Amino acid sequence: MKYDEQLLLTFLEKMYLVRRFEQKVYEFAERGLVFGSTHLGIGEEATSVGTILNLNKDDYMIATHRGHGQELMKGTSVDRMMAEMIGKETGICKGRVGSMHVTDRSVNNLGAQGIIGATFPISIGVGLAIKLQNLNDRILMSFFGDGSTNQGNFYESLNFAEIWKVPVLFICVNNLYGMGTHYCKTCNIEIYKKAQFFNIESDFADGNDVVQVYEKSKKLVDMVRTQRRSALLELKTYRTSGHSAFDKHPYRSKEEIEEWKKLDPIARVEEKLKASGTSIQKIADVKKKVDGIIEQAGNFALESKYPEFDASMEQ
Amino acid sequence: MREITYSEALREAIREEMLKDKNVIMIGEEIGQGYAGVFGVSKGLYDEFGPARIIDTPIAENSIMGAGIGTALMGMKPILEMMFSDFIAVCFDGVLNQAAKMKFMSADQYSLNLIVRLPGGEGAGTGPHHSQCLESLFMTIPGLKIVNPSNAYDAKGLLKTCINHGEPVLFFEHKKLYKTKSEVPVEEYTIPLGKGNIVRQGKDITLVAFSYMVSVAIAAAAELKEKYNIDVEIVDPRTLVPLDTEIIANSVKKTSRLAILEESHIRGGIGSEIGSIICQEHMDLLDCPIKKIASRNVPIPMPASLVNEIIPNKDRVVKDIKDMFMM
Repeated sequence: MKYDEQLLLTFLEKMYLVRRFEQKVYEFAERGLVFGSTHLGIGEEATSVGTILNLNKDDYMIATHRGHGQELMKGTSVDRMMAEMIGKETGICKGRVGSMHVTDRSVNNLGAQGIIGATFPISIGVGLAIKLQNLNDRILMSFFGDGSTNQGNFYESLNFAEIWKVPVLFICVNNLYGMGTHYCKTCNIEIYKKAQFFNIESDFADGNDVVQVYEKSKKLVDMVRTQRRSALLELKTYRTSGHSAFDKHPYRSKEEIEEWKKLDPIARVEEKLKASGTSIQKIADVKKKVDGIIEQAGNFALESKYPEFDASMEQ
Repeated sequence: MREITYSEALREAIREEMLKDKNVIMIGEEIGQGYAGVFGVSKGLYDEFGPARIIDTPIAENSIMGAGIGTALMGMKPILEMMFSDFIAVCFDGVLNQAAKMKFMSADQYSLNLIVRLPGGEGAGTGPHHSQCLESLFMTIPGLKIVNPSNAYDAKGLLKTCINHGEPVLFFEHKKLYKTKSEVPVEEYTIPLGKGNIVRQGKDITLVAFSYMVSVAIAAAAELKEKYNIDVEIVDPRTLVPLDTEIIANSVKKTSRLAILEESHIRGGIGSEIGSIICQEHMDLLDCPIKKIASRNVPIPMPASLVNEIIPNKDRVVKDIKDMFMM
C-alpha cells in the first residue's frame, strides 16, 4: 500500500522527536542532572506515535512509567516535559516528580504511576466516568507494559472492562523484558490472548513498524469510539536502551540488541520515505527542525529554577 | 428534636448530596439491590437513584478503589463502601500510592473528591478479619483525611462536608454505632473537619475518645464521678486528620491530666500520636504521665471472654483513670 508522504513525514518527525528527547534526557543523566531514575524507550517510538496520532485532543490517556513518548505525543509542551525531567519548577508537575510520573491535565493526560499495574483499575474508573458523564465521543487510551500483565489488577480490570462496557483501549507496549526478566519466563500465554478470555476484542502488531501500529490502532480506536466497549492492542517491540538509564544489560546479549537495532522504527520509516521518492534533503530538514526544538527545550530546562519547599505542600 | 440512627443519618447525608449533584455516586459490594449495604446504609437509594448512581461491583476491592480514583479524576464525587474496613487492605496501593498522592504529584492539577466509607470495630464476635480499627495505620500518610464520627449528628454533618471536600477522605464508621440514635435536625447542616467537640465537661482529667469509644468514655466517666468523685472531661476530636490539637491542649490546661482512649492497637496508635504532640508542646501542663488506653497488641479474636480482655471497656477505663489519681 502506498502511503501519503505527509503522513510518513509526520511519523518520522514525531518518532525522531521522542528519540531526541530521550537522548537529551540520557545526556542530562550522564551529567548528573537527573536525580532519580529515568526509563528510556529507545527503539519503542512507534508504539506511542502510531497509536496516539489516532486520538482526538479531548480523548484521555494514561501513560506508563516509561512514558516520555506517550506524554509528548499527547501534546505536552516539550519545554515543560524537559524541565520536569531534571526537577525544575517550570516542569509540567512543577518539577516534583520527574520522569516517571508525568501528569498533564491540559491535554487530558491523567498521569503515569510508578507502581506497575496500578493504572488498570484507574482506567476502569475513568472509563466508567466517561460513560456516566455521557462523554460519548471520547475514549481513554491506557498504556501498560508486558511486565504488568502478571499483576492481579490486570485480570480484574479486564473483567470489569467487559461487564461495565467502558470505552477504554488498552495498549500493551511489549518490549519483552520486565526489568531484566524475559516475558517467556513469566507467562506462557500471549498478552493479546489474555484479553480474549474475557471476551475483549484484541489484536497484536509489529510495534517497530509505525505504519502497522497506526493502522491497527486506528481500527481499534474506531471500534472503541463507536461500540463503547474495551479493546486491547499488543505491540511487540524492544527497547535497545536499558531498563533504567545506566543499565548494563546483564540479562541479555549484545547480539540480541544488535538484531533489534536492525528493526529500528525510525530507520524503517526513513527507508519507506526514500523508497517512495522523498528527497534526502526533506528528511534532513525534518530532523533539523526537531533538533532545534530539543536544543531549545534543553536550554529552557537548564535555565529554569529548582522548586522551593513551601509549607502549603504539607497535608 | 427528632432522633434518628447513625445509619439513617449517613443515608440522609448521601441522599441530600445525591439530589443536589449528579456527580455524587456510590460504588461498592452489595450496596444496591438486595442487601442495600450489609449495614443498611444505602437502603432505598438504589430504587431512588438507579444502577448508574448506586453501583454494585463484583467482590474486587482493588477495582472499587480504582473506580473511585478514576471517576474522581474525571471530576465526579464517588463514595466508596468497603463492606468491612478490614477489606481496605486488599486495595492498599490505591489508597497509599494513588489516591493520597495524586494532588501533590500532579502539582494540584488533579485532586480527588473521594470518600472511602469504612465500617470498622468489633461487633460481637466478628473476629480477626472483620473487627479492626485501622485509623492509626493511615494517619501517617500525607494526603488523606481521617474522619471518625461517634454519633448520628456528627456522622451526618461530617459526611456532608466530606462529600464536597475535594480531597480523599477515609470515613471510619463503627458497627456498634449504626443502630444508635441521637438528635439530628431536619434542616441541613455540616460540620467542618478538624473541629473537636467537648462531649462532657469536667475539671480533673481530659479523656480523648473518638468513634464508639466515646460511648465507653461516657459510661466510665459516670462511674468515676459517682464512685471516686473524679470529674472527667471527654474530648471527641471527631476527625484525626486534621486533628484539633487546640481543643485537647485547652482541656489539658484546665485538667493537667491526659488519657487517650481508642479501639485501635496500642503500639503506634492514636494515643501515641496525641500523647507525643501534647508532650512536645505542653509538657509543663501535665501533673502526671499520659495514659494510653487501647487494644492490646493481639488480633481481635471471636469469643467475648478474649475480646473483653483485649479491647478497652468501661471497667478498664475506670481502672486506668483511677490509677492516674493513685486511688
